[in-house]
Amino acid sequence: MMNEQRREFIKKTTLGVFAGLGAASGLVPAFSLEKTALPVWDEKPVPGKIRWGMLIDTRKCKEDCQQCIAACHHEHNVPAFKNRREEIRWIWKNSYRNVFPTADIAGVSKEIQNRTFISLCNHCADSPCTQICPTGATFKRWDGIVEIDYHRCIGCRFCMPACPYGSLSFNWEDPRTEIVDPVTAYPTRQQGVVEKCNFCSNRLVKGLLPACVEACPEQALVFGDLNDPRSDIRMLLESNVTMQRKPELGTKPSVFYII
Amino acid sequence: MEVMMKSRKLLWLVTFAAFSIVVALYVFRNGEAELSQKPLARVSAIDSTKCIAPKEFMRANHMQVLQGWERSVVREGDRVHIASNGSRFQKSLGTCLGCHNNRLFCYNCHSYANVKPKCWNCHLSPMETP
Repeated sequence: MMNEQRREFIKKTTLGVFAGLGAASGLVPAFSLEKTALPVWDEKPVPGKIRWGMLIDTRKCKEDCQQCIAACHHEHNVPAFKNRREEIRWIWKNSYRNVFPTADIAGVSKEIQNRTFISLCNHCADSPCTQICPTGATFKRWDGIVEIDYHRCIGCRFCMPACPYGSLSFNWEDPRTEIVDPVTAYPTRQQGVVEKCNFCSNRLVKGLLPACVEACPEQALVFGDLNDPRSDIRMLLESNVTMQRKPELGTKPSVFYII
Repeated sequence: MEVMMKSRKLLWLVTFAAFSIVVALYVFRNGEAELSQKPLARVSAIDSTKCIAPKEFMRANHMQVLQGWERSVVREGDRVHIASNGSRFQKSLGTCLGCHNNRLFCYNCHSYANVKPKCWNCHLSPMETP
């Protein structure tokens, strides 16, 4: 045991020395961690001032297009477990029956019933997952985003059945083994924590739109502040008939659908 | 033949002696600079004026600092650290590691003290950077 540790240490030290020499001679770039720059909002945010929301125009969403899913899962180092039981998903596609199971399909056309609908965390204004979390790891942020603090998650998985939309996934296995193309700018998760969509809070702080919104070739996704009556999303919500998922549960989702 | 061998040996000896003197001087001078109390007088790769707090404080309290940063960034969205001299830093592990860019900066001390922080279970360890 001791010997193994020693070997490991010597291996790593030697590697470090070589890397240091390489960096000194300019052969290897010194470090490739995330660049540190001050965020766009450098003052402390006012709780409740912003409420981020998303509008999904399902008429524009192409059935065989997976670009939003690929962009999101790449951006956040989401592992690609093939096994359905271990699957981790932040954003995925589903049928009308599964996305709106409590809506009556009488009067809904065949075309709509065969359409695919993007599902993701709804970032509910009245979120059951944050209310049930025993450690406060799942919490409501100042800007309406429901975020998981992975430092606090103990993996009890209460939030998973509490969420009526199935937005949470549990890391049964070490996720680092199954990340296809890891990015250095965002951390991974560890085995034994629950994870889900974070509305790209990591991109919002840099003044960027969420990865899925940016990746969509049809501009089917609109992102904005629901508290700002002049925002694009509010304009579109006022001029279109929209739907929320399971509105009768009173969770007040921040994700809206144009059917 | 024997004379030639001798002179060759002498040459080696002189070369070795000269080399060790150079090395010794280098080490000695560096050691002295380390001891002197004027870090600004020395040109160094790491700008110590840019540290968020004195070295002694950070050695003893970096874990509390990092935990405080984690809390205020994740829970309150307060991402800017203002140091006692008024300079501003992003509260991020990248801020620390951007300056302390020795890959073994964390590892050396932690392995000596036999502590196993969980940071690198999720965050990218400097030893894993490409």
